Amino acid sequence: MIWEVFRQEAPGDYHEHVGNVHAPDREMAKLFARIQHARRMQTNSLWVTPREEIGEVSAEDAAFDGRTDKSYRWAMTYNEIDASFAEEVADSESEQREAARKRREALRDEGNEA
Amino acid sequence: MDLETVRKRAGPREFGPADDMPERYRTAATRMIQFHANSEVMGGYLDKTFTRKAPSLDRKLANTAKVQDEIGHAQLLYRAAETLGVKTRAEMLEELANGDGKFLNCFHYPVDSWYEAPMIDFFVDGGAMRRQATLKSTSWTPYAHAMDKICFEEGFHVKHGESILRELMNGSKATQERTQETFDEWWPRILQFFGPTNDESVHDDFGRAVGLKTVTNDELRNSFLNMYIPKAEKHGLEIPEYPRIYERDDGTMAVREDDLDWDEFRTISRNEYEGSHEQIGSRRRRQEAVDWVRKSLDSWESSAGTTPRAAD
Repeated sequence: MIWEVFRQEAPGDYHEHVGNVHAPDREMAKLFARIQHARRMQTNSLWVTPREEIGEVSAEDAAFDGRTDKSYRWAMTYNEIDASFAEEVADSESEQREAARKRREALRDEGNEA
Repeated sequence: MDLETVRKRAGPREFGPADDMPERYRTAATRMIQFHANSEVMGGYLDKTFTRKAPSLDRKLANTAKVQDEIGHAQLLYRAAETLGVKTRAEMLEELANGDGKFLNCFHYPVDSWYEAPMIDFFVDGGAMRRQATLKSTSWTPYAHAMDKICFEEGFHVKHGESILRELMNGSKATQERTQETFDEWWPRILQFFGPTNDESVHDDFGRAVGLKTVTNDELRNSFLNMYIPKAEKHGLEIPEYPRIYERDDGTMAVREDDLDWDEFRTISRNEYEGSHEQIGSRRRRQEAVDWVRKSLDSWESSAGTTPRAAD
């Protein structure tokens, strides 16, 4: 059976998916995950989970809310407002700007393929 | 882990569910995160009033998106609180319904006009965002991770809130006056948002010693004043004479705490204010109204809903 492996580099980090291993049970999966993914890479913690326990949302389904104009819910829309007065508001806006840029690019690539 | 070790190691994102944390840390962190989660729920419910009041379709849409965000934040935070192993989400929601759950003072005042929207969406949310940005460095990792996503979303709320304020303060003379009156009413509540001074704050010291909090209430309030007073004035609002705001030697602003009504604040923090009953009650009735949804989800989970267990 196949186990997906998630590695956390340092305390406080997110566990990120790094790959998967074959193993007959959880203990063996943890052992193989250590050998495969923690032997050289800096590791604070590893998670293993059976692949069949993972539910996946496909790209098509994940994009369901990206097709109509929802600009009203982005910070950049309110561009008559200067966010620079508060660092945390400015940070949030630049994170949102980056997320919106990625979405736009994905949509454009899709358009080119069609 | 003993408390001495916790104090020594305390730092940003230092502890997580894999660590064996002492009871006192887990209780304090649960109290703090549950309070935060409850506030997101109560803020969301308060905010939804504005969808009906909003003067344009754009504002209505933005408001529904904001309410959806706030309820989502509550869900993230209840999950973060659950990781401490002290209370379940169901228990925390039950406490909120029966009046034991505590939440931010500003959400104990029922709202009934659109003029109140920027008071919540700009000033209260702006204050909340000040605090939340510092909580990205809290020592309980699941809490810090929830803050990553919450802070990502909040920028829209604050900017939209300021956009509403700007629109109102560019409106007719009557609109500007109504906005000023509403601001006068809300301003003391907004100042109390950050709680009492450090000397009076019961939980501040321990929270800071173990890294749950990184900044004091006073520091947050004063930095909020430095940022938001110029903003209020820029849009033509006058800062009320009382409570008195003064400039300190280092040029930063502070408030004369004696000018604020702490009896009202304490009544609120016991959930005993008139508005507390109204707000808690109206949310409880909605929780009861969708009880059938929770019941059907639970029965689904206990019958057909689970996937086969992997062999260990």
